[in-house]
Amino acid sequence: MARAWDVKGLAPNARFRDAAGRIILTRWREMMSYREGTLAGDDIEELHAMRVSSRRLRAAMDAFADVFPARGFRTYLREVKRITDTLGDARDLDVAIDHLTVLLPDLEPVDRPGLEGLIDRYEERRRAEDAHIHALFLRLEQELFAPRFEAWVGKHTGIDVDELQPSPPGGR
Amino acid sequence: MAKPRPVTGIDPSRRVRPNARRILATRIDEVYQYDGLVANPANITDLHNLRIAFKRLRYLLEIFDAAFDADLEPFLEQVKAMQDLLGDIHDCDVQVPMLEAHLAWLERQEATSVERMLTSPRRTASAEDQDVALERFRSRLDAARRTDERPGIHTLIAMRRAQRIALYGRFTSEWRRIKHERFRQHLEHALGIK
Repeated sequence: MARAWDVKGLAPNARFRDAAGRIILTRWREMMSYREGTLAGDDIEELHAMRVSSRRLRAAMDAFADVFPARGFRTYLREVKRITDTLGDARDLDVAIDHLTVLLPDLEPVDRPGLEGLIDRYEERRRAEDAHIHALFLRLEQELFAPRFEAWVGKHTGIDVDELQPSPPGGR
Repeated sequence: MAKPRPVTGIDPSRRVRPNARRILATRIDEVYQYDGLVANPANITDLHNLRIAFKRLRYLLEIFDAAFDADLEPFLEQVKAMQDLLGDIHDCDVQVPMLEAHLAWLERQEATSVERMLTSPRRTASAEDQDVALERFRSRLDAARRTDERPGIHTLIAMRRAQRIALYGRFTSEWRRIKHERFRQHLEHALGIK
């Protein structure tokens, strides 16, 4: 599993509001760093890392919910949840396909058609999930979700993402 | 999925630690509310909710780790181990009904195709033609048997059920152990929760 990015400037005695901005913006940029790899689809670990980051982001938003006005918060949280769920559907299929493929050589010949059929069906569904992922990120881009989200977090926490400059451990 | 209980008294202008304590105290309490309910292996929803409660606690411990002096890593590892174990149980609980539904679909496909073969409108004229037709029917049945997907699905269901029993056994012994080792009390002490 990809290591979480370190949160810059997070002091042990930080204010709750300040910590909220630093952690949420770091998790957001961490998640989005896997976007290109996920869309390319060459390595299933990119999607896995993006999903893990999206869950960290969602957890951070839940933890710091009191920092934000309820109405806007719900809208942004719903969108982050949609990202997690969309990636989750694809990830579950990747795991299932991988698991069945590993199991296959150890099975009796009579059992193999069942697993092969199941793998075929999962692979077909997995291809459909790719289309959902592409559509979701295209929409987020068209709606300028990233700059809006970063500005909204900045407005309510006082943390500017350009000043914070979240980055991966050891560079990526 | 059970919704997290609301946490009152959070003040964003205060420091992280007192707010984190309030949130964590509630989430720890949520984990332990399933004690007793998960003693029954058939309580699938409670086991799932306990997994979610552990997951919420794990992420919060990761998020607020820097705000506490105590080393939270051993607690995090324990919480993650419980979450993973319950996750594996949940996978079995989700997969078995899915595989059973898939099996039922394969049965319907099979019934439909046999029905179609038997009620085919093609009729043979002579006895010799009938022999040829019967041989063709046998050969198609043999081929269908060789590619029958149902035995593999039956095997997979049996494997998942056996796995579920073993995982639940591991879960109950781990759950007993962490209670016996006073995991909750140690964690609350490390976080300064009274």
